[in-house]
Amino acid sequence: MTSTTNGMAGGGPTSGWGPTFDPYDNTPELIPMRTAAQAGHWPTVRAWFAGLDSVDKLSSAVGLLADIPGVENFLERAAAESPGDPLPRTLLAERYVYIGWDIRSGARAQHVSRDQFTQFHDWLRRAEQLLIEICAEHPSYAPAWTARLMTARGLQLGQAEARRRYDRLSAHHPHQYHAQAQLLQQLCPKWSGSWEAAHGFARECATAAPDGSNSGALVALAHIERWLDLDSGEDAAYMRGLSVRDDLRNAAQVSVLHPAHRPDWNSLGAHNAFAFAFSLGNHWEYAAPHFAFIGDRATESPWHYVPDKKSSFLKSRKAALETRGGGNR
Amino acid sequence: MSTDLHEHDDRAGLAALAGLVSHTTTQHIPTLYAPASGNEITAGLFFRVGRADETLATAGLTHLVEHLALHRLGLSDLHYNGATANAYTLFHVTGSEEEVVKYLNSVCAGLRDLPMERLETEKEILRTEAAGRGNGPQHQMPLWRYGAQGYGLSSYNELGTWSLTPDQVRHWAETRFTRDNAVLWITSDRVPDGLDLTLPQGTRFPAPAATGALPRTPAFISGDDGHVVLTSVLRRSTAASVFADVLGRALFKDLRQEGGYSYSAEADYTPRDADFATLTAYADSLPQKQDAVVGGFVDTLARLRAGRIEQSELDSARAKLLKMYDTPDLAAAALPSYALSLLLGHRILTPEQHRAELNAVTTDDLRQVARETWDNALLQVPGRGVDWAGLTLAPQHSQAALTGTRHQSLEDEEVTLVIGAEGVSLLTPRGPVTVRYDACSAMTARPDGARTLTGHDGFSVTVEPTLYRGVTPERVAALDAAVPAGAVVRMPARQPDHIPQPRKRTSGPRSAGNGRSTVGWTVALWLVGLLAAAWGLLCGIITADEASATAPEWDAVTGVWILELPLAFATWKVYAARRQRRRG
Repeated sequence: MTSTTNGMAGGGPTSGWGPTFDPYDNTPELIPMRTAAQAGHWPTVRAWFAGLDSVDKLSSAVGLLADIPGVENFLERAAAESPGDPLPRTLLAERYVYIGWDIRSGARAQHVSRDQFTQFHDWLRRAEQLLIEICAEHPSYAPAWTARLMTARGLQLGQAEARRRYDRLSAHHPHQYHAQAQLLQQLCPKWSGSWEAAHGFARECATAAPDGSNSGALVALAHIERWLDLDSGEDAAYMRGLSVRDDLRNAAQVSVLHPAHRPDWNSLGAHNAFAFAFSLGNHWEYAAPHFAFIGDRATESPWHYVPDKKSSFLKSRKAALETRGGGNR
Repeated sequence: MSTDLHEHDDRAGLAALAGLVSHTTTQHIPTLYAPASGNEITAGLFFRVGRADETLATAGLTHLVEHLALHRLGLSDLHYNGATANAYTLFHVTGSEEEVVKYLNSVCAGLRDLPMERLETEKEILRTEAAGRGNGPQHQMPLWRYGAQGYGLSSYNELGTWSLTPDQVRHWAETRFTRDNAVLWITSDRVPDGLDLTLPQGTRFPAPAATGALPRTPAFISGDDGHVVLTSVLRRSTAASVFADVLGRALFKDLRQEGGYSYSAEADYTPRDADFATLTAYADSLPQKQDAVVGGFVDTLARLRAGRIEQSELDSARAKLLKMYDTPDLAAAALPSYALSLLLGHRILTPEQHRAELNAVTTDDLRQVARETWDNALLQVPGRGVDWAGLTLAPQHSQAALTGTRHQSLEDEEVTLVIGAEGVSLLTPRGPVTVRYDACSAMTARPDGARTLTGHDGFSVTVEPTLYRGVTPERVAALDAAVPAGAVVRMPARQPDHIPQPRKRTSGPRSAGNGRSTVGWTVALWLVGLLAAAWGLLCGIITADEASATAPEWDAVTGVWILELPLAFATWKVYAARRQRRRG
């Protein structure tokens, strides 16, 4: 990976192949984890996780491993063999959540059948019961609380309960980007929240975090959710609005564009959120530094919200980087 | 159990208290006494009989005896009272030695010869008392755990206050309020002179065995907004009593101090019988916070179960329990507890033994109790269920439906009442509710034919002849003949306007809550409908007019009628669209 040292600098890696949309291409350090997981080799997986040096990385990696089909088989064995270790049970629970969510599909509730819901809830309950134990035994174990934000949402345990879980987590680990992104989903109207709550939380995350943290991207994620919910026409006008633009700009400046920002595994997701949000409003010059950081390293979210994510990404990046006068293929 | 045997048991239990509490018998009643400072003395007379000994049909029987026995004391200035609990009845008094003697003598005289002329009045007083008492947030818990019998009866009204006969009441007093089923305690250095506590000979009844209505635990039920209640049944132990205090503090810390979701959060440990105690934990909540209260409750219990219990939590709870030994008149203060243990057949610990046990409790012991608590738990939550936390919904329907004559509901065509040879079933789309005659705790009977049958398991079916097709006096008579006579509770006639009449439901069950606003559609329906009706009327008049004319212009008549068609069609479409919207 050609790494960038600073989000402000242009020149993220681009190639003739276009955007990747692949976390393993974007962050090659993850590849050994995937290889070991696909081989079902628990000792290697465990050793790899043990080598992670931050809670942020741990939470990212848990989510990625859980998206690999079939890992539940070796994780169930590992969880049974190491009952005191929170890692295999958390990975297993997260995997159950993914299995359930795949059955449910990402569709709005009215398009999901009763049988799909039953299976979805069954998987989430299995996950939740593991997670209750883990959080009881290891109250500061961030990935378990993050997974419980997903089970709370899917099982419709309510706004207050989701917030309680986030508060329990943030008491030990404030400014957890993954957990914040999960709670933001819950706070949106589609999960019985409100725009007031969603934007309020995003602002709270951006303001409370130290300068240079990824948490400012929550502001972009909240606007993207709002855009997604608006009718065609209104949505574009919303993102073009100056107040949204300024909100995004301020959030970017205190987070990923701040000199104190140190890129980590979540920086790409944060930059992609800003790049996407500015592009939706045609604020190309503000999108430019984010695309410069991203290069080809596009992330699935939020680009999967548009029909042809690849060409959208390329068109947006071109328009953005052109504002800088420099050419880019 | 013979008198000799229990006296032997009593002596063995009391030996531990030698030097602290004196014991003797007073007219054959085991008596404990120990001095207290001050001029007044307190005495209590326990009987091992309570609500759990009754049946649903006789519920209130013990309470009635207690009231009748106290009646002759009238409005004296004495500080006295009676209390009827699940497993015991207590008469207690505080006053001078003379006053205490007068009270106890009067209670026993009352029990020997209950003022039966007061029976109907006292029944009415009990019904009034119950109406004014109101129900606490946990009042349903016993019936879900135990059914409509034994320890479950405290969830129910005192049905016996309608139907109990003088013979039943007298018999209860003669067999349960006996010298062999009693223990007396007095905070004095001697048994006062002049006591006449003559009571009939009888037997010591052990506390009733617990019945079970929960096929699986941990279980949950739905309850009112604003309250989360947990009950569990624990083997009685010093560790279990410490655990209750630890749990109460943990809930308070997690739900009130840290979360701010609750105002009160507490736990209580109350002995149920010789071997088991009931643990009750409670938290209230603001409506917007109740999801978090349920979640926090589940997590607090999970933490204790996982054994993540701080030594300081144990130490605080222990210190609080040890503090009761700081009281100056220790032995006198402990008399009620010793007397109750003696009565129930629970082991008696000396203060030294109890202190030693308290000091020996470890966090690991508490973890074991936490697990036992969870394994036997019944949790009542507002709103959504708690199946996600691994609890099973308590049975909402009976396992089987019975066959017999079928009577469709006049209110809901999907509901059918079955009156059979073995029992009654109410068939609903979600499942049946069945009460078998041979497992019927009570059947209330109204002169208008209404019957409510409640099974031992707590399920109940109400037969209202006005609400089901074909519930004839013959079918009601069949019920009366099938239910055991002892379970029948005759109730007075209802005011005619209290007899329910069928209300036809206007639309599906979801209409009220989920339907969207149809105001606009209703206005449109009126406009289009009125136009269609007016035009239709005009058509009719023209037709009639033309028909009576000498040369009817039938072409014109057809023409006006054709114009009516789109109006009628539009009316129908608006009506259909409005209905669709209403169903949401």
